[in-house]
Amino acid sequence: MNTSVTVQPARWAGGARARRLARSPVLRLAGRRILTAIPVLWGVTLLTFITLSALPGDAASALLGINATPAELRAFRIKLHLNEPFWVRYGHWLGGALTGNLGTSFSGGQSVASTIGQRLPVTLELVIYAMVITMVVSVPLAVLCARRPRGIIDRLSMVLSMASISIAPYVLALLLVIVFAVDTSIFPAIGYQSIGAGLAGNLRDVTLPSIILALPLIGFYTRFLRGDLLEQMQSEDYIVTARAKGLSDWQILTRHALRNSFIGLMTVIGLNLATLIGVTVIVEQIFSLPGIGYELLQSISNRNVPVVEGIVLVFGAAVVLANLVTDLLYSVLDPRIRHVRSR
Amino acid sequence: MSVPADLITTAPVPDTAAPFGPFGTAGRVPGWARSLEIVIPGAILAALLFFCFIWPLVYPVPKPIGGSLLTPHLPLWSPGHILGTDIVGDDVMSRILYGGRVSFEVAAAVQVIGLVIGGSLGMAAAYRGGWVEAVLMRILDVFLAFPSLVLVLAIADGLGPSETHVIWALSFFSIPAFARVARAATLRLRDQPFVVASRLSGSRPLTIMFRHLVPNMWPQLLTFSLLGASLTIILEGALDFLGYGIPPPAASWGNMIASGQQLISVYPSFVVVPSVFLLVTAICLNVLGDGLRARWGTR
Repeated sequence: MNTSVTVQPARWAGGARARRLARSPVLRLAGRRILTAIPVLWGVTLLTFITLSALPGDAASALLGINATPAELRAFRIKLHLNEPFWVRYGHWLGGALTGNLGTSFSGGQSVASTIGQRLPVTLELVIYAMVITMVVSVPLAVLCARRPRGIIDRLSMVLSMASISIAPYVLALLLVIVFAVDTSIFPAIGYQSIGAGLAGNLRDVTLPSIILALPLIGFYTRFLRGDLLEQMQSEDYIVTARAKGLSDWQILTRHALRNSFIGLMTVIGLNLATLIGVTVIVEQIFSLPGIGYELLQSISNRNVPVVEGIVLVFGAAVVLANLVTDLLYSVLDPRIRHVRSR
Repeated sequence: MSVPADLITTAPVPDTAAPFGPFGTAGRVPGWARSLEIVIPGAILAALLFFCFIWPLVYPVPKPIGGSLLTPHLPLWSPGHILGTDIVGDDVMSRILYGGRVSFEVAAAVQVIGLVIGGSLGMAAAYRGGWVEAVLMRILDVFLAFPSLVLVLAIADGLGPSETHVIWALSFFSIPAFARVARAATLRLRDQPFVVASRLSGSRPLTIMFRHLVPNMWPQLLTFSLLGASLTIILEGALDFLGYGIPPPAASWGNMIASGQQLISVYPSFVVVPSVFLLVTAICLNVLGDGLRARWGTR
C-alpha cells in the first residue's frame, strides 16, 4: 500500500490522473504480468521450433510424398529456406512475428494469420460452449451438495463426478456418438456447419463435442467448489455473523459462501485452460471439426512449421491471458489480495 | 429453512473425516474397514497388476497375437476365451492383460521419470533460491503456457509409434508438473525450524534435501503421482487413438478401443471391454490418490 503521501502541486490535471492510475495496484500487477508474459511466449515459440527441427523428417519430404525426386526435394527446400541453419530460420520467423507477420503456410501458401482467423472461431465456440455447460451444471450441483453434505445428492454426485473425471474423452465420444448419433440421430456424428449457415445446425454440430469437453470439467469443478463451500461454512467468521443475524442456511450458502468460493474456482479455471485446449485437439479430430486443433495436428505431421508456430503462439497467449485475467479479477474481487505486496 | 443452524457446523468435513461405508464412524470396526476408500481401490489395482504381470506367467493364457483366424469374433463367455476373440481371432482377455502391462508400464515409467527429474529439479531450485529458481520458474511458465499435448503429439509423430517414445513424450507432462509440486513443498519446508537447525549445525545442502525435505514431501508427491498415473493412462490411450501410440498388432487398451471403433455397431464388446478396464483403472487411481491425500492431510 502506498503510505508515503507527498503532496506535490499538480502541473497539469492529466498528469496527476496518470500518476494515480500508475499507482493503482491492479494496473501495476497487469503491467508486471504482461512484461513477464513476453519471455514466456518467446520460450514457447523457441521450444516449438527446436522440437520440430530436432525431429526426423521435414516439410519437403512430408508434403511432396515418397515419390519426389531428390532434385524436387532440393528445389522445394530452397524455396522454403529449409536448407538454411536453424538459427537463421528461427531468426527469420521471429523477426516476422515481431512485426506482426506470422508468415505463410508451407502448403498452399495461405497466410498463417488468415488460416488461424478461419479456424479459431470454431475452437473458441467449442471452448465457450463447454465452459457455459460446465458452469450451468457444476455451480448449482456443488451448492446442492454443500447444502446437505453426505446427503443422497452429495454422495451420488461425488460418485458421478469421480467417474466423469476418470473417463477418457475418446471413450466418452464413442459412447455419446452411439447413443445420440447412431441410435437416435439427435446430433450428427461428425461434420461442422458454420454459424453463418444457420445457428440451429451449428449448435447441433458442436453440442456433442462440447459435452465431451465439459463433462470432466463438471466433475472436477463440482468437487472443488463443494469442498471449498464446506470449508467456508465450517471455519469463516462471516458465516457466523450471517447466521447470527438470522439468515437461513440457504441464503448464507448462495449469497455469502458461494461468492467467496468463486475466487478459488476462478484460479482453477485459469490453470485448467491449457488442458482444455489440449483436449480440444482430440475432440476436433474425433468429430472432424475444422478447428485450430485439427489444423494443428495436420500441420505437425506435415512439419508445416509456420502454421504450428502460429497456433502454438495463439494457445500460449490464450493461457497467459487467462492467467492474467484471473489474477486481476482476483485482486479486484478480494481487497486483501490487492493491498498485499506480492513478491 | 427448517434445518437447525448448528447442523451444518457440526457436520464432519468430508475430506478429513472418517470414511463413509457400512460401518460408519462407529467404534469397533477393524482398521482396514475404516478406510474403505483406500482399501477397495488398492485391492482392485493390486488384482489388476497381478493378473497383468504375474497371471500370464503361471497360467497358460492364449497368446495376445497370432490367434486362430478360424475362430474370429467369438462372443463373451466362450469356452477357452472368457472375453471372446477379436476380428482376427486373438483372445480378447489375453490382449487385455498384455495391453494392461503396457498401460501400467507407461504410467509407472512416466511418473518415475517425472518424480526423479522434475522433483529433484524443483526441490533443488527452490532450496537454492535466487537466480536458479527464477530461471526454473520461467521455464516452468513456458511449459505451463504450452499445450503439452502439442509437444507430445509432435514427439510421438516425429519419432514414430513405440512404447519408449510414448513414455518420453508423456514425460513432458510429468516433469514440469512434479517440478511445480516439489518446488511448492520445498518453499513451505525451507524455513521451518528443523531445516534451519540442520543448516545451522552444518549439514550440507544435499544432506538436508534428502534427509529432511524428501521425507516430509514424499506423501504429497506419492498422491500426486497416483493422480498423474490415471491421467497418463488416459493420455496413452489418446495417443493410441490418434495413431501415435503403441502400434498394432501389439496390444494396448487404447489401440484396442481405436480398432474396435470401426466395428462398434456390430461388435460393441470390442470397445466396451477395454474401455471398462481403462475406466476402472483410472477411477481406482483417482480414488486411491484422493483417499491417501485426505488421510495424510496433504494438499
